[in-house]
Formats: sequence, structure tokens, C-alpha cells
Amino acid sequence: MTPYLFIGPALLLLVAFSFLPIIIALVISFTDMNIGGLANWSQISFVGISNFIRLFQDPVFLQSMWNTLLYVVIGVPLAIISSFVIALFLKLVTDRMSSTFRVIYYMPSITNIVAIAVVWGFLYNQQYGLFNYLLSMVDLQAVPWLEHPFVAKISLIIMAVWKSNGVSMLIFLAALQSIPRIYYEAADIDGANRWQKLWNITLPSMRFATFFVTVTTLIAWLQFFEEPFVMTDGGPLNGTNSIALFIYQEGFQSSEFGYGASASFVLFAIIIVATLVQFKFRKADQ
Amino acid sequence: MKKHQVFKTVSVLAASSFVLAACSSGGGSGGNESSDDTITVWTMTDGLDEFVQEYEDESGTTVEVQAIPWENAHDKIVTAVASGDGPDVLQVGTTWVAEFADAGTFQDLSDYTDEYDNLSSDNFYDTAVETTKYEDQTIGVPWYVDTRALFYRTDILEDAGYPDGPKTWDDMVDASEQLTARGDDQYAIDLLADDPQFPFVMAWEQGWDYDLDKGAENFDDPAFQEAIELHHTFYGEGYSQLGEGKEFFQAFADGSKPMFISGPWDIQTIEERAPEIEGDWDVTLMPEAETNDSMMGGAHWTVFNNSEKTEEALDFINWMSAPETQVKWYEDHSELPANLEAWEDPVLKDDDKISTFGEQLEHTKPLPLVPEYEQMGQELLSTLEQINRNDADIDKSLDEYQQEVSRILGE
Repeated sequence: MTPYLFIGPALLLLVAFSFLPIIIALVISFTDMNIGGLANWSQISFVGISNFIRLFQDPVFLQSMWNTLLYVVIGVPLAIISSFVIALFLKLVTDRMSSTFRVIYYMPSITNIVAIAVVWGFLYNQQYGLFNYLLSMVDLQAVPWLEHPFVAKISLIIMAVWKSNGVSMLIFLAALQSIPRIYYEAADIDGANRWQKLWNITLPSMRFATFFVTVTTLIAWLQFFEEPFVMTDGGPLNGTNSIALFIYQEGFQSSEFGYGASASFVLFAIIIVATLVQFKFRKADQ
Repeated sequence: MKKHQVFKTVSVLAASSFVLAACSSGGGSGGNESSDDTITVWTMTDGLDEFVQEYEDESGTTVEVQAIPWENAHDKIVTAVASGDGPDVLQVGTTWVAEFADAGTFQDLSDYTDEYDNLSSDNFYDTAVETTKYEDQTIGVPWYVDTRALFYRTDILEDAGYPDGPKTWDDMVDASEQLTARGDDQYAIDLLADDPQFPFVMAWEQGWDYDLDKGAENFDDPAFQEAIELHHTFYGEGYSQLGEGKEFFQAFADGSKPMFISGPWDIQTIEERAPEIEGDWDVTLMPEAETNDSMMGGAHWTVFNNSEKTEEALDFINWMSAPETQVKWYEDHSELPANLEAWEDPVLKDDDKISTFGEQLEHTKPLPLVPEYEQMGQELLSTLEQINRNDADIDKSLDEYQQEVSRILGE
């Protein structure tokens, strides 16, 4: 009984604040609950799967799905590779430089997203922003950073990669530090070059860290929310809307709780599937 | 195996009691259980806390003020409605009245308004009072009002032949053409691209009006289409900038955007942010087509549905509605009094720009008083974005908009 006693409180919290809300949300997703229904439960009626049917006919939702897919497909590899490369370089340079740059790369992760949005909003300004100014110095045309639906997506990805590098970099760095030196010494004796050492020692030893970072990054990017919320509000022309932002807009701005909840279940399903697929790959890998 | 069973039962019981406890203790944090001479007030305006001290001294009631930023206010009220755990007195924006009244958030004050000196509906702007009504109920008392008027640069508009600002929408288009012709990066006016109220204002001016009985049919009106076409003209011809350009007050100061439509709070903002153009700008009434109606905005005081302190709450609201209090609030916070008598005070009357707003307030309409208004407005904004950014066909977009509204209204 004792072990249960110890994990009991944590389990209770998990049930009360995670599982229960999920079940309640699932129930809500089959109803037409809105703000009127919130105050007076008798106004709520069961609508079956019509919310889900409407979702897949809603061009705004379909566009958000497509945008989210793009965020994930472009953003996740970029975020993982860039933080990995940063970690590798930090390992190479001297200790003092390494700690300076660790601070620099970690800084965006602890900066408030609203502050970041304001600053990047200035950088991205089509007419007066720093980026377009730099481009004009080399005679390149102004880029409509946040004014064109597709370019705006890329702009948000760049910003999000920059912001998310810090945490993944730390994990990679920790994994790098924990690789026993003797492997490299042995490789040196065998006359291996840098690439061979990277390919045959470093990468395989970091497999678990990479897996962890991939899973968490993928989930985070599927839930892409803050960047479009504070920078573009899903615009222009819905080009940066994500599923998570769609849920917020329907659920909390329009108070269509039932519809929002059903969208959140679509996202939930996507995340579960994506994670399961990765675990499958990992199993096959071992 | 047996251990498992026991554990399951225990955890299920514990979990459910935990949840029940969480629900029942919800009431504790609100104002409902506090002592008798305390009322809780939720407001979206900073500074009310110090302002009510005078009332506290006079009445002996303690007023607990909680200031919520506008951005979070909607969520916060929704939560209060859901949990039934709200304040005694609640400020609410005019456009939220129908939505929250429909959810039963407020007490009906119809029977009380005659019992208090300052609460009679004769004391306030008619349109402001209109926005406190929902389905035969009076759910609030106007606190402050606001409306939109046209800000313009006198020096630049004089060159275009409109020293007193454009009076009609035809003048407006004519002036805009000249102003845009001044060169690259020169615009005529900064339109409110993310303000869902503004397209409705333009439509009223074309002679359109929202009829509660007609629902989505309202948007079939040719006058509405005219307004949307006019709106598109400003973007199509480059009179207004589509994306985010220069910092706005800088653009107003250097003359590249010599006009904009906004509320009274921007008088002070221009004085602070662009002091170098003092004397070179003014405020005038909205341009006229069929009418020059602007919107009736602002906020009301309401009493939350399960407050047990209706009398105390109304006494407080009564104090806030007194002409003297309203003038003082204007002096402290630049928010325009809803009380008509307060407008007789020289502080307001002798200020040219403010009295323009006073005059505009006489020509106002309430926004559609339906619970779905917010959604209707947001949909209209995305329809306009399709038209202005994507060159979508206006007829077709409006048809789609009408269908969407019809769905939102549940027709």
C-alpha cells in the first residue's frame, strides 16, 4: 500500500486537473454549449458529431490544419538541427565563450513572448524594419514579412525557432557532456577524423536526447499558439492561424465552447498519433 | 490484485471528493461572503480604486475595486458567469451587453431606476440608455460614453481645399485622392482595419440600419453593400495603407497620414506623442452621406446576478452617476460623461475638441444588440480582409457573409 500512498497525491491531481477536464471536454465537444449554456445548463443540447462534421467543412479550420502542418514540417527539423548545431559548437569553443553564448542562446527562452513580439514586430515592419533595411543595403527588394500569408508563416517559424533553441540546446549540451571521453580517445588512437567521430560516436550516443527533443518539439509545434496570437492574430487572410489559435478563437473569443472543444479533440488525436508513430520508430530502432 | 481494487476505490472516492470540494469552495473568493458594508467592484479602468475613496468616506461602505485589463475582461466575466462567482458591481462594455445579458449575468434594474436620483434614464444620452436594454430588461446604468469622430491635420487639409475637414463622404474621397497624389508613402487616412465596429458605422452613414427582426437579411441591403464598396475604395485606390507602416503618431505628425477616425482618448495621446503639431490638427464630426451617425460606445455599471447587495450596489452606482462625479471622473481619466447635465460643466463645454465629441454623441446609433454581435463583427472583418487584401468579389463575399451570419444567428 505504501507506494500508492506516495504517488497518491500526484495521481489525484492528475485525475482532477488532467483526465477529468479531458473527459468533460470530450462530452462538451458533442454539444452546442455556448455562453448561454454555461449559465443555464438546460440550454445545452446534444448535437452528436455535427461539430466535427462542421469542422471539416470550415475553410478556416482546414486552413489552420494546413498551416499547422507547415509549421511542423518546416519548423521541427529546423529547430532540432539548429539547436543541435549550436550545442556542438558550444562544446568546441573555450569554457568562457561557451558560457557567454549559452546565456545568449538561452535568453529568448526566458523572455516574455509579448516583449519578443513587439521587438520582432519592429524588425519585420515592411517599410521601416531592420530586416528590410539590411536587404535594401544589398539592393534586394523589400520582403512582406508579415503582410503575405505564406511569407508570414515563414517569419513566424524563424522567430519561433530562435525562441525555442535555448531549451533544446541545453538538453543536447547535457547529453554531449555525458559521452565518455574514452570513446574519443580510442577513436583518436584509431586515427578517426572529426566527421567519423561525429557520425560514429557523438550521434549514436545522443540518440535518446534526440528522441526526447524530437517528441517534445513536435508536440510543442503542433500546439503552435503564442507566436501567431501575439504577432498576427492568425492573419493576414488566415495565413498564420494554427489549430491551437483556432480553438482559442472559437472557444474563448466567440464563446462557442462545443465547437472549440471538438477542434481541441482533433488536435489531441493528431498529437497522440504523431507521438505513437515516433515511439514505434524508436522501438524499431532499438 | 486485491490491493489494486482497494487503491482504485480509494482514489476514485478521493478524487471525487476533491473535485466536489473544489467546486463548493469557489464562492469564498468572491465578494458574496464578505462583511455587510463591503461591496466588490470589477472595472476595466485603472484608478477607480483611489477615485472611490470619497464615496467610502461619505457612505461608510468599503468598496473593493478589482481592475481587470480589457483584454482579459471577457474571459474573466465568462468564468464568473460559469462559476456564479462574480462581484457585486460589474463594469461592462456596451457591445457585450446582449451577449452577457442573454446568459443571465445581470440583475434586471428596471424597477430600481426611479428610486435613485441619478439613475433615471432621462439623465443620459438616449442611445446610451438604449444599449442598457435587453429584451425588456434594463441591465445597467450608463457610466461613460464614447464615440468616434474624425481627427485631421488642419494645415494639410487646407491645402486640399477642406480647411474644416471633409463634411461628406464625397468630400472625403475627393480629399483622399489629392492627399494620396502627394507622392510615395503618402496616404489620406488611417482606417481601423481591426475594429469590427467601424464598418457598421460606415453602413449607418449610407442609410443602413440593423433591424433585430430581419437577422441576416439585414446584410442584403444595398446601402450595406455601398458601405463595403466605399470601404474598399480606400484600400483599392491606396488612400489607406493595408499593412503596418510607420508608427502611427509619427505618421500623423509628419503628415503622411493626415486623417484618422478614433475616440476622445486620442486627443490626449496626440498632445503627448506629437506636441510639435499643436494647433495644426482638429476634430470634426464624421463625414456625412445619408446620415453622419457614429457608434455609441462606452461602458455601463451593472449588478451581478447573484449579488445579495443590490441596494448597496445601486447606491454606489448612483454616486458614480451624479453629474459632479462624472465631471470629476472626466477630469481624472478623460472618459466622457454619460450624464447629460455633466456636459453643461465648463470643463467640457469650453473645450472645442471635446464639445465636438459631445455634438457627435447626439448623432449615434447603438451597435446591433444581439448576443452574437462579437462574432458577426469578427466575421465581417475577415470578409473585409478577403475583399481588401485578396480582391475577392464584393457581391460574392457579402453573400457568403450573409450565410455565415445566418448560421451564427441560428436561423
